[in-house]
Amino acid sequence: MNAISIQNINKHFYDPVEFQVLKDISFDVKKGEFVSIIGKSGSGKSTLLYLLSTMDTKYKGNIAINGTQVTGLSQNELAKFRNEQIGFVFQFHFLLPEFTVLDNVMLPALKLNKKSKDEIEAEAIESLYLLGLKGQELKKASKISGGQQQRVAIARALINSPSIIMGDEPTGNLDSKNTNIVFDVFKELAKERGQTIIAVTHDDEFADNCDRIIELSDGKVISQ
Amino acid sequence: MNTNQKIAKVHLTSRFRQLLVAILSVSFGISMYIAMNSFMAGVNNIQTEITFTSMSHIKIYNDLSSTITQISPKPKDSNTILMVNNARNIQYTQGIKNADAIKNELLNMSEINGVALQLNEKVFIRNGVSNTSASLTGIETVNENKLFETAKYIIEGDLSELDKRSDGIILGVGLAQTIGVKTGNTISVTTSEGVSKTFKIIGLLESGSKVRDKTSALITIQTARQLFSKNKSYATDILVNTYDYNNARTVAEKVRKLTDYKVESWQEGNEQLVSSSLLRDILAIAVSLTILIVAGFGIYNIMNMTVNEKIKEIAILKAMGFNGKDVIEIFLTQSVAIGLIGGFVGLFLGNVIVQMLDIVPFKIASYNTLPVVYNIKDYILAFSFGTIITLIAGYLPSRKASKVDPVEILRG
Ligand SMILES: Nc1ncnc2c1ncn2[C@@H]1O[C@H](COP(=O)(O)OP(=O)(O)O)[C@@H](O)[C@H]1O
Ligand SMILES: [Mg+2]
Repeated sequence: MNAISIQNINKHFYDPVEFQVLKDISFDVKKGEFVSIIGKSGSGKSTLLYLLSTMDTKYKGNIAINGTQVTGLSQNELAKFRNEQIGFVFQFHFLLPEFTVLDNVMLPALKLNKKSKDEIEAEAIESLYLLGLKGQELKKASKISGGQQQRVAIARALINSPSIIMGDEPTGNLDSKNTNIVFDVFKELAKERGQTIIAVTHDDEFADNCDRIIELSDGKVISQ
Repeated sequence: MNTNQKIAKVHLTSRFRQLLVAILSVSFGISMYIAMNSFMAGVNNIQTEITFTSMSHIKIYNDLSSTITQISPKPKDSNTILMVNNARNIQYTQGIKNADAIKNELLNMSEINGVALQLNEKVFIRNGVSNTSASLTGIETVNENKLFETAKYIIEGDLSELDKRSDGIILGVGLAQTIGVKTGNTISVTTSEGVSKTFKIIGLLESGSKVRDKTSALITIQTARQLFSKNKSYATDILVNTYDYNNARTVAEKVRKLTDYKVESWQEGNEQLVSSSLLRDILAIAVSLTILIVAGFGIYNIMNMTVNEKIKEIAILKAMGFNGKDVIEIFLTQSVAIGLIGGFVGLFLGNVIVQMLDIVPFKIASYNTLPVVYNIKDYILAFSFGTIITLIAGYLPSRKASKVDPVEILRG
């Protein structure tokens, strides 16, 4: 079973003028694959990723994730699906600034409500340690550095052990040391836990070390 | 506490000043509602107290019937024309002859608190040369006092003195002044039929009503019956007080079954009192609701700002799998918390304001301070209106928050 299977995706923007941003895109991603999406700025990478994340539902074509056809599901069903199956890391860290680092990581799991609070806390602390954030747990999310925030966002994306982790330039704001930490974590998740990783990146070295590269140009897949 | 409520709590507590402003605006609205309504109820009470110092809840008297019944039979065939010229209603009995019997029946009714008989007639009062008309009232002193606390308004002499001497009379202060007499002087009273009797002034009445004080003179009903040569049970008016003056209309309806005389509840004779007290109530409710609605706008504004400020966080929550309902819960919880805290503070504050009004010196009727009423209903209504308004004011921004499209916000 494919982790992701998309067929004939077309997407238009109508504002300010009609503009086709994605043109008949089809590809599959296997379970446990670590895929990067590359392409020039404006080629439609982020747009594609938001479609895959189920947040953007305005497109033509078909998307199936882990065998579930997500195209056509209601907003509430999609929210539940995201909570269980997808971890998302944004280009800018996007933490909740008033909450502690630990709370930020725990929130998606508290929402999922499948484990006890103590279990969730233990797992959150474990992934924070994994990302080199020992000692930062009880600080407010707004009181740590940008690189640390980005890693907290990654820990948060991992908390529900989602089958797919998506990142829109997850290392875009990180120095090479932090980039390497994040890359290694992703690699390990893919290899050891069988989680599928899809990351949009500008970083050639990062892309080269992935299992597979999908390249976009002007809304079309030019190599995969 | 569930996750959504925890998020709401963090949102609230991390912006303490905004929280304080929101709570205070609700408290202000609710306390004003309580203060306004407690005060208006107090004013209405005074109004009724003043009203009922001279007026009974129900009055029974002999009235000219307003419909003229045709005595002569209607002609049977259309060829006959019946003409009655100048039909007139002639009153052939005056006053109520069997007042005692009616009074006893009334006293048997459970709703009725007291009954007093009166004999009211116009008379002339003469003191040597000065001569003026006055309304003479024959009263049953004990019953009269029970209904109207008349003794409280006797500023010289004593109401009970009337029963002790049959030539005693109490004059309104204004009337005494007009004819230039004092307590202890004698005056002569002349009826419209020309009967005269000498009375000794044993007291003065100051009721607070200028008109009444300028015209009224009190004697016992027994003396009055003699003066007007009426039978032992005669009265012109039977005055009735009920336990609750608001029920006067329904009690009057029952009394009508007992007697053919005119039975009038105070509301019927005094529409203006009823409507002015109603108008005051409407005004109080309108003003206090306005204040509450303004407070509601305050909450709306604050919650709207919060939603705008947190739009990115809302998008993140949604990206992580929180749905529209969760977002509504998060923000609605905040306004409910504001409403409840503000509500309780407002109840307390309202009570403090009412207690403060209660000690502000102000002389009116038998009160020495501003009149207020402590009514639990006002508190319940204020609290319910307050929380309902915060709920509505909070719901609109929450719904807006729930509709946030995360892609729009998070796209780099
Ligand atoms: N909300 C939008 N409305 C209209 N055009 C958009 C919108 N978002 C992105 N675009 C356009 O779509 C194209 C692809 O954008 P994007 O997916 O962000 O590119 P990338 O992430 O590859 O740099 C760009 O030309 C961009 O200007
Ligand atoms: Mg992009």
